[in-house]
Amino acid sequence: MFSELLAPLRSLAEFVDMMPASIAFRESIYVSPYTTVAHVVAMCFFAGLILIMDLRLLGWAFMETSFSHLQRRLFPLQMLGMALAAATGLVLTFGDPLRFYGNIFFWTKMCMIALTGINAMAFEYVTQDTVPAWDEAPITPYGAKLAGGVSLALWSTVIVAGRLIPYNWFA
Amino acid sequence: MLEQFFIDMEQWPISKAIGESLWIYPVDQALHLVGMAFLLGAVMMVNLRLLGLGITKTSLAQVARSARPWFIGGMIFMILTGLPQLMQNASREYYSEYFWRKMYFLAASLVVTIISIRYMTRQPDSAGTTMGSKLTGAFSLLLWVNVIIPARLIGLFT
Repeated sequence: MFSELLAPLRSLAEFVDMMPASIAFRESIYVSPYTTVAHVVAMCFFAGLILIMDLRLLGWAFMETSFSHLQRRLFPLQMLGMALAAATGLVLTFGDPLRFYGNIFFWTKMCMIALTGINAMAFEYVTQDTVPAWDEAPITPYGAKLAGGVSLALWSTVIVAGRLIPYNWFA
Repeated sequence: MLEQFFIDMEQWPISKAIGESLWIYPVDQALHLVGMAFLLGAVMMVNLRLLGLGITKTSLAQVARSARPWFIGGMIFMILTGLPQLMQNASREYYSEYFWRKMYFLAASLVVTIISIRYMTRQPDSAGTTMGSKLTGAFSLLLWVNVIIPARLIGLFT
């Protein structure tokens, strides 16, 4: 039933699936599994640093470090990790599109990633301006806690959904 | 003896129950990965600081103290979520070269990280990074990457 909802995407997935590079990727003995490994390594480092920032926003860790310093120092590394995770993720999707397009966990993961983006934008436009007021305070305000808690929950769900993709119980 | 223990472990009622459940094993795998992200976050904060990257305005001792509970908690969570996977797949894991590679690198990573945290917590606030601390930070990160790589390969190549 779920895959019927995504029927319009099927022709695109089939088109990509027949591309020589996609076929070669699927048939490779090492490229496909090692791309998965690279995706997991990049994700662990990237999500690890995101979660640390979320814990700081929640007031649960690194409270002796000002939030602005932590954010400034971790941001480039988070972006590097995200770029690597996104690049390897794109290759994995390109290499086996028919496996992903009808998978509920894949779409859950994508929706959650989109929501993390919205959460980050909301933080940037609403809470970021208030940072100087609580940058070094021992307790973070409600808005910061909310942003950190939502991000932590969303990224954890991204990881869980990603790992459940091979178990397509609802196909 | 160890081989027999692994084979027996797979026959434990709890191991069989995990194997027969449709969702326990996958959900446990997923939680293990979430735990890995938390653990890696704490490990990264320690090693980035040793490298002179990361939160350099905070002293080595303070970074180690802040990261320590998340490192210890993360490690406990990883063991708790790792054991059910091992129990259900014990004989496959025993004969998997990737499982043992993961365990050796895990042991080395733990030793290096625990020593690093102990060293950092004893430093005065004025202490900066040295060539030794930078090499340790880089070496430790390399070790941790080599825990994750074979961990993911266990399921892909056995």
